[in-house]
Amino acid sequence: MAVIETEELTKSYGRHRGIEDISLEVRAGEVFGFLGPNGAGKTTAIRTLLDFLHPTSGSARIFGVDSRKGGASVRRRIGNLPGDFGFGKEATGHQAVTLLARLRGVSELGRAEELARRFRADLDRPLGQLSRGNRQKVGLILAFFHQPDLLILDEPTGGLDPLMQEEFLSLVAEERERGRAVFISSHELDEVERVCDRVGIIREGKLIAVERVSDLIGKPQRRVSVEFAAPVNREELKRLPGVDGVEGNGSRVTFLVTGDLNPILKVLAGHSVADLEIVHPSLEEVFLTYYREEAG
Amino acid sequence: MTALLGVQLRDRRRSLLAWGLPIGLMSAFIVAIFPSVADALSKVVNSYPAGLKQAFGISELSDVEQYLDAEMLSLIVPLAAGYLAVRSVASGLSGAAESGRLDVVLSAPVSRSSIVAASFAASGVELAGVLAMSLALTMVASALAGAGLSFGAALAGFANVWPLALLFAGLGVVVTGFSLRTSVVTGSVAGVLVAMYVLDLIGRLDPSLGALRYGSVFRYYGEAIENGIDPLAFIGIAAAAIALAVLGAWLFDRRDLSG
Repeated sequence: MAVIETEELTKSYGRHRGIEDISLEVRAGEVFGFLGPNGAGKTTAIRTLLDFLHPTSGSARIFGVDSRKGGASVRRRIGNLPGDFGFGKEATGHQAVTLLARLRGVSELGRAEELARRFRADLDRPLGQLSRGNRQKVGLILAFFHQPDLLILDEPTGGLDPLMQEEFLSLVAEERERGRAVFISSHELDEVERVCDRVGIIREGKLIAVERVSDLIGKPQRRVSVEFAAPVNREELKRLPGVDGVEGNGSRVTFLVTGDLNPILKVLAGHSVADLEIVHPSLEEVFLTYYREEAG
Repeated sequence: MTALLGVQLRDRRRSLLAWGLPIGLMSAFIVAIFPSVADALSKVVNSYPAGLKQAFGISELSDVEQYLDAEMLSLIVPLAAGYLAVRSVASGLSGAAESGRLDVVLSAPVSRSSIVAASFAASGVELAGVLAMSLALTMVASALAGAGLSFGAALAGFANVWPLALLFAGLGVVVTGFSLRTSVVTGSVAGVLVAMYVLDLIGRLDPSLGALRYGSVFRYYGEAIENGIDPLAFIGIAAAAIALAVLGAWLFDRRDLSG
């Protein structure tokens, strides 16, 4: 059974765009990345999933229950980190954890303490006195401490230093091993590439692709960097089928190739090549390609 | 619900000092100076036009209860308590939305209506605490100055403010059903509070406009320090406050949590 299932989920604000016809599925034991730049609709989608926003049309089901009707029984099994985590300025992290534990009926706070040690979080200072990164650590503890079956994390590494980002990615991997579903919204492609099994790419409120990360990166697309012995006419390369994004100056040229590499190699053979590098593109490049294609 | 109420009360603990102390000290000052100004006051009040005395509910200021009523309980305390009530309920709802706490709490198995109930109940407790502190300081001043203020009368006077102020907390919950901006909630309800007071005042000053008073809760407020609490008005206003809070909870449950 899908942990999250949306069907043509739409949220509009009058004339303003929110999200449109989002249909996706997240399964148990899966880390799903929700990718898009700021303003693409990631947070709106999450808030609609959690019933903070009521959908204009379509439906969202969590653990098979309509999110509008699920209420307490569903939210007991969810850990949520809001995009802009806050809990007021005066409360300490410890007070926040204690309140959430009471609301969730959790009496054992050992996991919260373990997470605090792991993230080196200060739970004794008022949140208003903490930096954004240190507040985010408290938010992560609140999302994870009750060991939920589903984690919904909106821009989870915002403000975290690289060490803590690593710790976060390890934690997510552990949760996946335990069979939990994790839904991560992010525009940090590197972290998505490292931890997610599948990604959904959202652009201007619409889901434009859902693919396995390995499939995305392994698409028959290559980044080619060529160092010629002498300057060449780049127009010759631009005319070749499947070639895109030709850049460079003088004798160094880089471009993306989709599909067969042979026509490229034949053209290159007509020149004196000093160096040649052909690599799979990063997720970021694939992501940007999607955006360019859709915009085109 | 009890966990939410506990947090809401903890957030409001400072208001006892911030609101109870100044209102109480002001009230204490009024009571403390009464013995030394009583004679002069009677002469001044006798010279007031009859309409003015009627408008402000002043028959004469021959005892400390009447003086406390005229100086504090007919204007300053109800307006201050009404504003405190809406500010309090707004901090628990729109303030929580602005700080991000609402999102975190609603991620737990908690209903929106229980958050509204906790916020409204905390406002009621906060109001009661502020009024009790004001009463206590006033009674201490009376004892020290030998003003002879009756505890029963003063208790009735301060207690009578509670449902009136709570009504504006209920109205605040209703406005939260439309806006989650604290400035909008407190500003609009404070405007209604002042408008209702003015409406009642106009109705008192000009008997031909007396019907206007039915649009104001101050019409039912009375002068409990002198005449005792009107149980029907007390219960009626409290019931109206709760009804508004229930309506507000219904609206809050149906709204999007943004903006």
